[in-house]
Amino acid sequence: MATTRRSLLGMAGAGSAALALAACAGGSTSAGGGGGGKGEEGDGSIQFWSNHPGSSKDLEQKIIDAWNKDNPDNQAKLIDGGASYEELGQKFNAALAGGGLPDLIVASDVTWFNFAFTGTTTAMDDLWKEAEVDSDDFVDTLREDYEYDGKHYGMPYSRSTTLMYFNTEVMKKAGLPTDKGPETWEQFAEWAPKILDANGGKPAIVIPDGSDYLDWFFQGIIWTFGGNYSKEWTPTFTEQGSIDAATFLQEQVAAGHIGIEKDAANAFSIGNSSGLLQSTGSLGGLKESAEFDFHTTYLPGPTPGACTGGAGIAIPEGISDERKVMAMKFADFLTSTQNTITFSQATGYMPVRKSAMEDAEETKYLEENPNAMTAIRQLSENTAPQDYARVFVSGGGQRIGAGLDRIAIAQEDVATVMKDLQDETQKVIDRDITPNL
Amino acid sequence: MTAVTTPAIPGLETTTSDEPTKRSRSLNWRHIGLAAILIVPNMILLGLFTYRPLIDNFRISFYNWNISSPDMRFVGLGNYIEWFTDDTSWQIARNTLIFTLVAVIGSMALGLALALLLDQHLRARNMVRTMVFAPYVISGAAIGVAFQFVFDPGYGLVQDVLGRLGLDTPAFYQHSGWALFMITTTYVWKNLGYTFVIYLAALQGRRSDLDEAAEIDGTPAWRKFWRVTLPQLKGTTFFLSVTVLLNSFQVFDIIQVMTEGGPFGTGTSTLIYQVYQETFVNNRAGYGAAVATIMFLIVLVVTLVQVKLQDKQD
Repeated sequence: MATTRRSLLGMAGAGSAALALAACAGGSTSAGGGGGGKGEEGDGSIQFWSNHPGSSKDLEQKIIDAWNKDNPDNQAKLIDGGASYEELGQKFNAALAGGGLPDLIVASDVTWFNFAFTGTTTAMDDLWKEAEVDSDDFVDTLREDYEYDGKHYGMPYSRSTTLMYFNTEVMKKAGLPTDKGPETWEQFAEWAPKILDANGGKPAIVIPDGSDYLDWFFQGIIWTFGGNYSKEWTPTFTEQGSIDAATFLQEQVAAGHIGIEKDAANAFSIGNSSGLLQSTGSLGGLKESAEFDFHTTYLPGPTPGACTGGAGIAIPEGISDERKVMAMKFADFLTSTQNTITFSQATGYMPVRKSAMEDAEETKYLEENPNAMTAIRQLSENTAPQDYARVFVSGGGQRIGAGLDRIAIAQEDVATVMKDLQDETQKVIDRDITPNL
Repeated sequence: MTAVTTPAIPGLETTTSDEPTKRSRSLNWRHIGLAAILIVPNMILLGLFTYRPLIDNFRISFYNWNISSPDMRFVGLGNYIEWFTDDTSWQIARNTLIFTLVAVIGSMALGLALALLLDQHLRARNMVRTMVFAPYVISGAAIGVAFQFVFDPGYGLVQDVLGRLGLDTPAFYQHSGWALFMITTTYVWKNLGYTFVIYLAALQGRRSDLDEAAEIDGTPAWRKFWRVTLPQLKGTTFFLSVTVLLNSFQVFDIIQVMTEGGPFGTGTSTLIYQVYQETFVNNRAGYGAAVATIMFLIVLVVTLVQVKLQDKQD
């Protein structure tokens, strides 16, 4: 066959398609090597992969500088792991397939379990002993979030919970309390028209959409209606409490009481809403960006009305034992009493150490900053760990978020969407979880 | 007989004679050696970084593999059957088709229009040409971030312009159709520079005598464009239709930055985005590999059809 320019272009097209496919293949080139190479040695430094939760890059670097000053033979490096927890998880997956494992990573509430489940991050219990880490000093609830099969696969770092933020001036104008939020979501529905009247019809609160963790914020709401995403490995989207909660969300959005926004924190900070449902980790940023006084409150009950979230530290299973021990020592330093105080005050994340909460400096700070205190009090009074369907089932958060977008934004039939979520979640559990439990 | 030396390549003179000689045979080997030196490294690189992953991808598509896990489970054609029987797949295929068609037609039509305009003797045309081409060399992620501000329904440029005209701003991020419009428009804007430059080069290389003949004959401008200019751009149009189509199939960055495939999970997901979503978000590397293989076959078939159609036209 004669080679013409056209046939060459055709071949180039096919080649380009092949290149695209090769690129799609991602980490597939070493399928079966997911362990990343048992006992992988590093370059002698401690590689900490972080997405810098709460815009903490500079702060993390300062902490690392302090470590490096005291440990000249075991220098640590801060490596950008991506812009989000998900990107960091993807980068870690690439390292599992291609090698070059870090010493420790930030693992979020939705990524740590998959790594533990597939044996790619290490159990920390023995390492705590070997590196002489006082694991009892971690806040019990936060430490136990990382328990799987009797062992812990993470330690708390940038831990958060959901909070309500209200524009104080608007609430005063509406004649509503500024020292507490609504007791229940039904009471919120009663308050909302007054808040709308006081602020030119703007939504009483805004909540991020499904691409920005609506599924996390809604989890507390669903609990207060007696529903759940799941009870352990059994999805419960179609139970009456879950349906009622989703119907409530849909009605409140339709009534204009709740707004769903891609960037909800920004909408609140520029005055496009009177309130906000957001993470404690947004507290630091909102203090900078909002040009009005605001206060934080618990999420409405009955208890529990909020869930924990955020991220912890995990250590890869595939690195050498020496690296693991050194990584644990660094993690202990990263979350030391003083560093925990500094980190939580700068970002708004909760202090993860009991000793930090009891520290005189922190106590004084919390007295002077009641907004930061709200999350800590709520942790013991109004918070519960998340449902498996969101955090342990692969793609759970995005799946539920997309479903809630259909309910809240597209105003689709609630029962149909919840049935879809029930079926899809069950399918993933049957396919990916049950055979490996 | 006397051997004649042909200085084709300096230092590698070849000989011709009526009968092969020992010298000519050894020179042929030198030719082969040179060809091997030039070709083999490229073949090795292609094999290692394109075709080996391609074959590996095809193999993995028959497995259920959590990308974090060292274990894989053989499922045969299970991943392919799942894709073809899942309603979501058809929505994603539809998104891909709409996005690709609009991107190819839009960027080629606008690129040609701009090339025709800027082929004229206008003031500051070099500066305008540079401005039109510039977006093509900017990263898709950066453009995605910038266009988030353009389309933001609360404070974006589009909202501002529509507001001044007394019109409501569409919910770009909360309606699948508008979201697809948003990312397609953004991509066409970014890609315009590429089609523009190629068309401009073709226009500048066309036969001026044909244009002059048409002008002498008093051919109307539209007819001249349709009957004289456009036929001369046939080869370029074909080249662009193939390359723009292939590029459009692989757009990921703009979608990731602007919509993350949403709203509603798959509102703006295309096939390549589904590959990413399944592999890295849902941790289903086997299923992602199956989608990648399906995409590869579609692109291959479309390209071959384009080549055949062009051959027939010729």
